[in-house]
Amino acid sequence: MPTPAPRSSEESDRRGDGPAPGVFIEAHALTRHFDHDRVQALRGVSFTVREGEFVAVIGPSGSGKTTLLQILGALDAPTSGGIAFRGQSLQAVPDLSRFRARMIGFIFQSFHLLPTLTALENVQVPMFEMPWPSSERRRRAAELLATVGLGGRLDHLPATLSGGERQRVAVARSLANEPQLLLADEPTGNLDSANAQRIMELLGDIHRRRGMSLIVVTHNPAVAACAGRTLQMLDGRIVLDTANPAGAP
Amino acid sequence: MSFLTLVFKNLLRRPTRSLLTMTGVAVGIAAVVALSSIAWGFQRSWEQAYAARGTDLIVTRITSRNPLPTPFDESIAGDLARLPHVRQVSGLLSDMVSIEDAPTVLVFGWEQNGFLWGHLKLVAGRWPAGDAEKVVVIGTVAADILRKSVGDSIHIENDDFTVCGTFDSAALVENGAIVMTLRQMQRVMEYPGRVNFLNLRLEPGTTEPQVEELRRMIKSRLPGCNAFTGGEVAQNNTAIQTAKAMSWATSLIALVVGAVGVMNTMLMSVFERTHEIGVLLAIGWRRRRIVRMIVYESMAVSLVGGVQGILLGFVAVKILQITPWIRGKIEGEVSLPLFGLALAIALVLGVLGGLYPAHRGSRLHPSEALRCE
Repeated sequence: MPTPAPRSSEESDRRGDGPAPGVFIEAHALTRHFDHDRVQALRGVSFTVREGEFVAVIGPSGSGKTTLLQILGALDAPTSGGIAFRGQSLQAVPDLSRFRARMIGFIFQSFHLLPTLTALENVQVPMFEMPWPSSERRRRAAELLATVGLGGRLDHLPATLSGGERQRVAVARSLANEPQLLLADEPTGNLDSANAQRIMELLGDIHRRRGMSLIVVTHNPAVAACAGRTLQMLDGRIVLDTANPAGAP
Repeated sequence: MSFLTLVFKNLLRRPTRSLLTMTGVAVGIAAVVALSSIAWGFQRSWEQAYAARGTDLIVTRITSRNPLPTPFDESIAGDLARLPHVRQVSGLLSDMVSIEDAPTVLVFGWEQNGFLWGHLKLVAGRWPAGDAEKVVVIGTVAADILRKSVGDSIHIENDDFTVCGTFDSAALVENGAIVMTLRQMQRVMEYPGRVNFLNLRLEPGTTEPQVEELRRMIKSRLPGCNAFTGGEVAQNNTAIQTAKAMSWATSLIALVVGAVGVMNTMLMSVFERTHEIGVLLAIGWRRRRIVRMIVYESMAVSLVGGVQGILLGFVAVKILQITPWIRGKIEGEVSLPLFGLALAIALVLGVLGGLYPAHRGSRLHPSEALRCE
């Protein structure tokens, strides 16, 4: 076990053997250092996320939001500290790709669709990791695109879609393998306010209907206001953990 | 969408680069096809010649490795004729001769009443009337290359001969050759009483073991001599072996260049797509799938290049065949097994060119790849 980093003041004290009922993610004293410890992106972050919770992570650039999101998404490992999903430590997961493919959906700021693939094909890209035949992949992708309101643009290439439409394709792609956790990194960062609002309504809707947990990293207070809880980060620490009764639970 | 659709669409993203890489592979494969078919065709032309002459065994000095072995005394023909199963023996003296302004031409001197003449078809004129006559007959292709017809004079070494006839043979090497009587050949080459091949025709129904026995006999009774079948002579011919070795060496260089081109393209493509590979890993792709995607892309480029190369090689053979140096000597053998071989080589090239870039791509750390915009 790595040496625990200094605890932050907001850290939850619950550290039993098994997960408390309803706890989905439990992060404990996460640190992440880069460049031979010269950069300390996370300096001891602990928090829990309940099943089906919608959490916004806010904070200035360089406060460690994206690093935290990547660790939550099993794309990066903490320098010290640990993270558990439903009581199972991520370090003990033998196949992180499989975990990512089935458990997590990613949404990026700049969409990152494959430019030569149509909307329908882009949504199918993650499905190669699932045991579904080609026809099933197609059917599911079409259904997801209909869910995000792009049922009529299945065969459009990303270049022929507006920014908002591209992000909706990316949302559909993130749902491809029916994940239980959706991670969005500045999902509205490249969109105008009208489209940003539409994307947040869509994410809120998906969160409500599918009951999946949703963690959104954002600069945008309007986006954060949609969430039921806000974690504010500064210099690699969570400095404020507030509930927002007006947002989604 | 199938996985292969994704692979092909990735290649279409940089059509010019994919096309140039394919061209690199195509040139390599074209070299393999053209040079191999010339080398194999060279061998086949000789095999055809021996088959057409009705020669069962060829006796020559020690080794048959030199395409034109050192001449030896023709008197052993009598010894050979007395061996069991031997029906006829016919002596032959041959050489490559530079004639007038044409590149080298194969010249044969055949025993006046030997069986070798039998398979040629006279197209114009007549056959040599006797040993003493200073005449030659020329193959139809040689007539074309040398621009000679019946009645023309032809300068060979230090003497002038008259073309008394033109002939057609089933074997290309003979069609591109000049034939005179053995006596005239021995005189002009200054090898009186010598031949460099003795052609044996065996009795019909001679069995394989009997032929083997005969070969052993020839070896033991005629020291310094050895007997071969036509195919063996063609295969052991140093000129043919050299042609094959040269063709493989040249092909290998072309293939290495092609493979390096594929690898370069795939590496560039992996570096350019670092961020995209990060996205693919983030959405759950396994490293194995990244490897597969890149190797398949590389194989697809190579395979398409391979098909182009086969077509290009086919055209190259057709063009090479009409150049004065090759015309009348070699008929390129463009065969299905050769095409299969070329495609297999292209496939191996694709795998080899793709493996390292794929390895590099799959080793990318997802979070670092995502940071790289």
